[in-house]
Amino acid sequence: MMKKIIRIFRKDATIATRDAMLIYIIVIPILLAIGILFFAPGVTDSAVKVAMFESDAPAHIEYMENYVQVEQFDSMKEIERRVGKRDDVVGIVPVNEGYEIIVEGNEDQSAIESAEVLNTLFELGATRENTTAEILDFGKTVPPLKTKLVNMLILMVIMLAGMIISLGIVEEKSDNTISAMNVTPVSQNGFIIGKSLLGGFVALGSIVVALLIMGYFDINWLMILLVGLTSMILTFVIGFIQGLGSDDVIEAAAGVKMTMLPIAGSIAGYELLADKWQWTMYWSPFYWAYKANDLILSKAADWGTVLICIAAVTGLSMAIYFISIPKIRKGLS
Amino acid sequence: MISVKNLSYSYSNDEKLAVKNISFEISKGETFGFLGPSGAGKSTTQGILTGLLKHQMGDVMVAGYDMKKVQNERFNKIGVSFEQSNVYSKLTALENLKYYADLFDGPTRDPHELLKIVGLDGRENDRAGEFSKGMKHRLTFARSMINNPELWFLDEPTTGLDPAIAATIKDIIRAEKAKGTTSFLTTHNMYIADELCDRVAFIIDGEIKLIDTPKSLKQKYGKKLVEVEYVKEGQLYKETLKTVEDADRQKIADIVKSYDIQTMHSKEATLEEIFIQVTGRELI
Repeated sequence: MMKKIIRIFRKDATIATRDAMLIYIIVIPILLAIGILFFAPGVTDSAVKVAMFESDAPAHIEYMENYVQVEQFDSMKEIERRVGKRDDVVGIVPVNEGYEIIVEGNEDQSAIESAEVLNTLFELGATRENTTAEILDFGKTVPPLKTKLVNMLILMVIMLAGMIISLGIVEEKSDNTISAMNVTPVSQNGFIIGKSLLGGFVALGSIVVALLIMGYFDINWLMILLVGLTSMILTFVIGFIQGLGSDDVIEAAAGVKMTMLPIAGSIAGYELLADKWQWTMYWSPFYWAYKANDLILSKAADWGTVLICIAAVTGLSMAIYFISIPKIRKGLS
Repeated sequence: MISVKNLSYSYSNDEKLAVKNISFEISKGETFGFLGPSGAGKSTTQGILTGLLKHQMGDVMVAGYDMKKVQNERFNKIGVSFEQSNVYSKLTALENLKYYADLFDGPTRDPHELLKIVGLDGRENDRAGEFSKGMKHRLTFARSMINNPELWFLDEPTTGLDPAIAATIKDIIRAEKAKGTTSFLTTHNMYIADELCDRVAFIIDGEIKLIDTPKSLKQKYGKKLVEVEYVKEGQLYKETLKTVEDADRQKIADIVKSYDIQTMHSKEATLEEIFIQVTGRELI
């Protein structure tokens, strides 16, 4: 049976290479990952940047470089031009006996204050060794906004896996080939698994590529792939139901896009609800998947918590699967 | 090869039956025609026999398998040619056949050979989506033979095909019969049934009205008539005379002897006429 399942997958993969819509679905997550990486520099880099004169005192430049990113310029005009650019850069220039802080006016207040305080500490001759404070590390090594965006991208990819299945089923319906499949020795379960493989492989591949593009090299890959795999069960079910209930590609795509509602709701619930109200989202497999991914991407996940999330995702998805399977079987008959 | 006893089926799972208590047997190597108008119950019966419809009432054995049980391996012995073509439009003709060949357990036929016998050689690498309706139908027909079936279900195998291609399809069916393949042919085309079938069943409103050989039916229901056109005293006359009555036989002899014969045909009943005679309904 495995040979036949793989044959169904190979056939779907061949058809996918001849279908522009499926190729777009495969490419979109990768483009979004690149977009997040290149078009939102503030997401991946939250360090304070300052613009200084090349002719400034070397000790001053060296001191500032210990704590912030320093860009050096040889004229006031160039410093002003740099400060005026889109990202937050604070200019620090010497005037008379002291320094002047140059800002555009729309910068993040904390960036301005950080640059100002750091410059004051330099003027006072303070160093890191002078402090009596100890650093308490919560272990958050990844920028939070980046984690959120990547997590949302993963859930979107999982939704696209359902769309790939849905489009495959619509294709089978329009070619009237389900009846031909029903008179071969392939069982319905074999057919369902075979039709799910392309969506599964594409989704997992897209998740891996997107994470690598975004620089997540040292996360726990086993955890992220396990969460991804279990999250797909529900989108597979939705993909089959929508595909069987739709007469054309647009209808199927629109149907699967409705999955965005529980996904968006789950993300909003996780991010915005107070701890005491988090339980109201426990019904959603996407909530547990988002939670698990959040911990894994933040490198704060332990196997115990992740396994609880995986169990919740699997349990809830399987419950929906068993409720839906008679409808899927009937549609495939 | 097929044994059906007291088979009934209801789409709505109630007393409204699409097939009503039908029974018949088909022996190995036989070509059996299942004839009836649209909505008579032909496709429902074929659906049950192929397993596309769930068995409800009665006993059905197909190729040695009890249809009450789900056994997918039975399809290794069965081929089904659907009335509506059903091939992957984005795959080539060759890819379509190779794909289905890989889904069967036993040895399969060479896709190139099948494409050749249905006249699609030279078009192996063209996508099925680019094919005409007739070509898709031939590809569907070729696919039904890919697993070298012992039992072959043919649903309207020549409908919508031009006469030359229909003749090719009929030749293939005859060739498979010669190899010992059992065929269950569903059609409302009495001419193809007459040409190909060993026995035919007339089904109407879900009930089988009769089962017999085409030859026997013609003998039983045919009127044994002769239609003759002749010229007498400059005028054209047309008469239909019975060959089994002495008076008419003498009259035929007189006409042949005395007048200028224009046309003369023996007129045996067609299967279609017999169907109408037996069921009181036309084949539409």
